[in-house]
Amino acid sequence: MMHGLFDTTIQTLDKALELRSQKLQVISSNIANAETPGYAPMRMDFEKSLQEAVSGPESGQVRTHQNHMPAAGGKDLSDFQASFYRDYDRSGIGDRNKVSIEQEMVDLSENQIRYEAAIQMLNKKFSMLKLVIQERT
Amino acid sequence: MDILGVMNIGSSGLRAQTIRLNTISSNLANIETTRTPEGGPYRKKSAVFTTESTGFEAHLEQGRPQTAQGVSVQYIRTDNGPGKMVYDPSHPDSDENGYVEKPNINLAEEMTDMIRARGSYEANVTAIKSAQRMAMKALEIGR
Repeated sequence: MMHGLFDTTIQTLDKALELRSQKLQVISSNIANAETPGYAPMRMDFEKSLQEAVSGPESGQVRTHQNHMPAAGGKDLSDFQASFYRDYDRSGIGDRNKVSIEQEMVDLSENQIRYEAAIQMLNKKFSMLKLVIQERT
Repeated sequence: MDILGVMNIGSSGLRAQTIRLNTISSNLANIETTRTPEGGPYRKKSAVFTTESTGFEAHLEQGRPQTAQGVSVQYIRTDNGPGKMVYDPSHPDSDENGYVEKPNINLAEEMTDMIRARGSYEANVTAIKSAQRMAMKALEIGR
């Protein structure tokens, strides 16, 4: 099926970049508060729900007749939001701070790698677009 | 923008850890100090951390509960616990029994605290670097 110029892939990657930079902020907040007494690290979850939103039913324009132009664009992801929750320490010992600096560093580098991967895919997508819109004789 | 928010949070962490290192080095420098302006031996100081909001502007802009917070030093706590009593009758600050009250500072404790402060500082630097790298990558989109 035909999509608009900026299809679901670009929309999804765009959303992923936004969420990744938001996640970076959450992780850096956890790192900064790694030794604040009573701080419960914030967790941000979106991978699964974003996948569901992308593979879910299409919203917006719907083709009502087969002779009509195909509906442009795929999903409307602009309202998609990640879920946040605090990971409280229930061990009852120490200063009730549950930040694990190792875990945060792993999350940090994973987040960065995935962000860069999304950018590379965006770049590939754009270079394909550029290729097809260039008129060569 | 989120990336700048990360920079602010990271630098709040750097600031807090620097203040913590300052108190540690103050404790180490005064480990033998028996006279202070307040009277008595030097007392161990420690920095107490608290979460810091990202500011009114960001709060207003987002209009949703805060998910990311920086850190700041709430106050410098003075430990008023008893000091070490050392027998040294020749010391000018010794009492009638020949004991001198030395500061309540544990050298090993200060050294481990110092290593942890440095580790936290480095972790914050890594977060800032990550933000910077991501921002530079984002500038390359479509190039």
